[in-house]
Amino acid sequence: MSSGTGSTTRRAGPPGEPRRVGYLFVLPAFAVYAAFALYPLLKAVYLSLWHWDGLTLATWAGLSNYADVLGDERLRGAFAHALVLMVFFAVLPLLVGLLLAAVLHRAKVRGLPFFRTVVFLPQVVAMVVIAVAWRRIYAPDGSLNSLLGAVGLDSWARGWLGDYTFALPAVGVVGTWLESGLVTVLLLAGMSRIPTELYEAARLDGAGPVREFLSVTLPSVRAEIAVALTLTVIAALKTFDLIYMTTSGGPGYSTTVPSYEVYRQAFEVGQVGLASTIGVVLTVIIFAISFVITRIGDRGGD
Amino acid sequence: MSRKVLRTTALAGLVGVLGLAACTPGSGGTAAPSQPAPNASVTTDAASLGNVTLTVWDQEVRGGQEKQMSTLISQFQQAYPNIKIERVSRSFDDLTKTLRLALSGKDAPDVVQANNTRSQMGAFVTAGELVNLDPWAKAYGWDQRYPESVRAVSSYSTDGTTFGSGSLFGLPQVGEVVGVFYSRSKLAKLGIQPPTTWAEFDAALATAKDKGEVPLVLGNLEKWPAGHVFGVVQGRYVPAPEIRALGFGQPGGDWTSAENVKAAQTLVDWVDAGYFNSGFNGQDYDPAWQGFTKGEGVFLIAGSWLQADLSAAMKDDVGFMLPPPSEAGGTAVTTGGTGLPFAITSKAENKDAAAAYINFITSPDAMKVLAENGNLPVVETSQQTAPDALGKDVYAAFDAVSRADGLVPYLDWATPTMGDTLGATLQDLLAKKVSPADALATLQKDYAEFTSK
Amino acid sequence: MRVSGSERLANYAILMAFAVFALYPLVGIVAAALQPDTQAPGGLANFGQAWEIGRFGSYLRASALVSVFVVAVSTVLSILAGFAFGTMRFRGSEALFYVMLIGIMVPAEAIVVPLFFDLRALGLTDTFWALALPQVAQSVAFGTFWLRAFFRSSNRSIIEAARLDGASTWRILWQVLVPLSRPALVTLVVLTFMWTWNEFLIPLVMVPTNESLRTAPLGLGFFSGQYTQGFSLLAAGAVIVAVPVVVLYLFLQRHFIAGMLEGAVRD
Repeated sequence: MSSGTGSTTRRAGPPGEPRRVGYLFVLPAFAVYAAFALYPLLKAVYLSLWHWDGLTLATWAGLSNYADVLGDERLRGAFAHALVLMVFFAVLPLLVGLLLAAVLHRAKVRGLPFFRTVVFLPQVVAMVVIAVAWRRIYAPDGSLNSLLGAVGLDSWARGWLGDYTFALPAVGVVGTWLESGLVTVLLLAGMSRIPTELYEAARLDGAGPVREFLSVTLPSVRAEIAVALTLTVIAALKTFDLIYMTTSGGPGYSTTVPSYEVYRQAFEVGQVGLASTIGVVLTVIIFAISFVITRIGDRGGD
Repeated sequence: MSRKVLRTTALAGLVGVLGLAACTPGSGGTAAPSQPAPNASVTTDAASLGNVTLTVWDQEVRGGQEKQMSTLISQFQQAYPNIKIERVSRSFDDLTKTLRLALSGKDAPDVVQANNTRSQMGAFVTAGELVNLDPWAKAYGWDQRYPESVRAVSSYSTDGTTFGSGSLFGLPQVGEVVGVFYSRSKLAKLGIQPPTTWAEFDAALATAKDKGEVPLVLGNLEKWPAGHVFGVVQGRYVPAPEIRALGFGQPGGDWTSAENVKAAQTLVDWVDAGYFNSGFNGQDYDPAWQGFTKGEGVFLIAGSWLQADLSAAMKDDVGFMLPPPSEAGGTAVTTGGTGLPFAITSKAENKDAAAAYINFITSPDAMKVLAENGNLPVVETSQQTAPDALGKDVYAAFDAVSRADGLVPYLDWATPTMGDTLGATLQDLLAKKVSPADALATLQKDYAEFTSK
Repeated sequence: MRVSGSERLANYAILMAFAVFALYPLVGIVAAALQPDTQAPGGLANFGQAWEIGRFGSYLRASALVSVFVVAVSTVLSILAGFAFGTMRFRGSEALFYVMLIGIMVPAEAIVVPLFFDLRALGLTDTFWALALPQVAQSVAFGTFWLRAFFRSSNRSIIEAARLDGASTWRILWQVLVPLSRPALVTLVVLTFMWTWNEFLIPLVMVPTNESLRTAPLGLGFFSGQYTQGFSLLAAGAVIVAVPVVVLYLFLQRHFIAGMLEGAVRD
């Protein structure tokens, strides 16, 4: 999360002089943050140790909610689905982004600013709006099926969001659509900072486009790749609104994800302890992933 | 940095959890005391209640339902200017998803439409979030106008454990019957009559398929619609008392019985024969019936709640019939009963005003307004004139099946989790992810876990 | 770099294909929003109809109120905290900063459950505060991180000079540093605005009953379930909800892109 500005924040020696007044400046922000983010996070850990329906008196659960998350087929499934979504939200956009950025970087094409504006656009549109748009595309009489019909692939047409095999990938493709532009723009920015001498040197060695890409471009954007992966992997884990608005976890439970289960368990089913547990596990996973990716990115940079 | 973050977090977390450990969640107690029978001094004189604002949540969003509701509310406002109605309407799905949240909040609405199910009304009664309506039922004479059978499906014991008897916790406006909508012009083109036996129905489906029509329209993305189709097919094989035990979550039923297997198998056979529109599991409910009105399909198995919308779109071309009886000359068995009942929340400040509102929208005059706008009034149906041809069909069907005692409960009423289980399992079954036997075993597990408690 | 004509052509083809892919769903929904339908007259009149039936006026108002509040409060608090973390040394400042950094990564899904029940116990659910303060908390975590980096990298000699002139710390911040950090501030403001405007889960949970606080994305969510008469007006509603942020993006896209690429994990 911090890699982009990492270079500016690491300086020799601490800045400024010692000042007590610093506490006063930090206090208001920290107070709000502590009350409405930090404390709830700790409270979630605490609630995860109870069986509670949100209404009546809770009973102590110990770690049994955690055992449920691991043991319950459906909840395990939710985490597995999140893993699949990571492929669609992070890995595919990375591949698409690398390809596009490499192409654009090599041939300084015209209209790049326009292209950047367009491919980044999905990032700023509310997820609910995106869900409404894609739900329509995936409908049995939607434009995806019309397209398939037009090219003679009628037999492929289906109700995409209700298909056991394809619902999860269909939701995933929305993620690929959403994140590819972000990753491309990010990588383009990284590549534009690569000194041209590196390419000239590679060419003198007789490197073709592919080797040039592998030996010069790819290593140089390692930090950007790390940032891109962090952003997109976390996006893949926070798909509550997308799932809520498209499949509600269906068909069956084939597209349910942890962030959706948190809401469902807490506010529909009334298992607040279990919901908190899922939330805590989700947070731990997000921390772990950011940690690992940042580490890898840092190592590449040094 | 990361190691430091970890250490700091761990430390802060430890401190926090220790600090919290003093109290048990829920001990602060928003849980209302469970139903000491409300004092008998209820008043039915709504005009004398002073200035009141009632927040009302309903799911009357479809054509005719929306119309009757807004008509009745404006009439109520005229009759009782001192009571201001603030209406919030949202779809059935959104109501289901948000009602639990809303009832536990500080500003809970005063009157809500709560599904009869154990997952909704049952759970809310247990939590003390709904008010026992018995005193008002007596005061307003609901216990006279509404037959026992109608009141029973909105009744729970005051602790919420027994469903189908006890105290009244809600009052429905409309009746509901699930049956078969059909397109007259399509049938004429196919050269078939509306089927009166299951054999004819099977033949009609096959003919429609052969001639390139979509025999059955289904939009099942929301998961619950297939439950209505299954209910109809179940009525073909399974005796009504058996279905009632399953639907009310009473002990003694068996999802895995040979009859239920036959019903589940029939659904699968229909899928195999290609009777449903393609991609039905990924089709939205509303676009599905809209497609039906535009000539995409011959039969639509659905409930009377679509009456106004279908009639408006198809005029005389649409007809409605009960599913055929299981044997010729017998009585039809199908899902139905009442629409979602209106209930009063414990947090309602003026419960008398809330009751006055419920009384108003379920009064004999209201039943007339319901009928005029293409809805099926739950009581005094025979005194109303149906607004159009489709309405006549629906009223006749409801009347016939009620008199023959052929209405059986919605299957998702059974247990707090059955709505969820049934929806997902039927999607599984229809997609042939599970065999009929396995699907029914899943339902049986949900049902048995609950009934054995 | 020189590339051949055919490669150039291929590049443009790839570019076009990808641009179409990115735009198609969005253009599709705009096109659908103009179609006539049962209750939709067609053309621009659809927006008026959707506005009316879907009550989007009220939703946009609520969204605007919440967004302005969250942006204003979190920006001011972030400036103060970022200034302290970036230019002063005090015991535990590092540790405090890292604790706040956690907030950038914590998913709303994890904190929304305890928040709801705690705020309910305090009688705060269904209020503006339940809607706004959790979002201020999340925004402040990002804002502090963002501005700390900026203040840290700003030219120290300016601060020294101002101090020699006898300016107080307070004045140095507001009259010297803040004007200098305008680009960073604009980025922070547009990102915070976008996140708040687009947020779905917090309004869904924190304001279960209060209609007048229903924000635009939530309103659209309910409208999509409630409106059963076709797609045109739903599409029109979706466009109405998306337009404010999209317009802002078209004018200030540099800030959106820079901010999201350099710092943001929040969504």
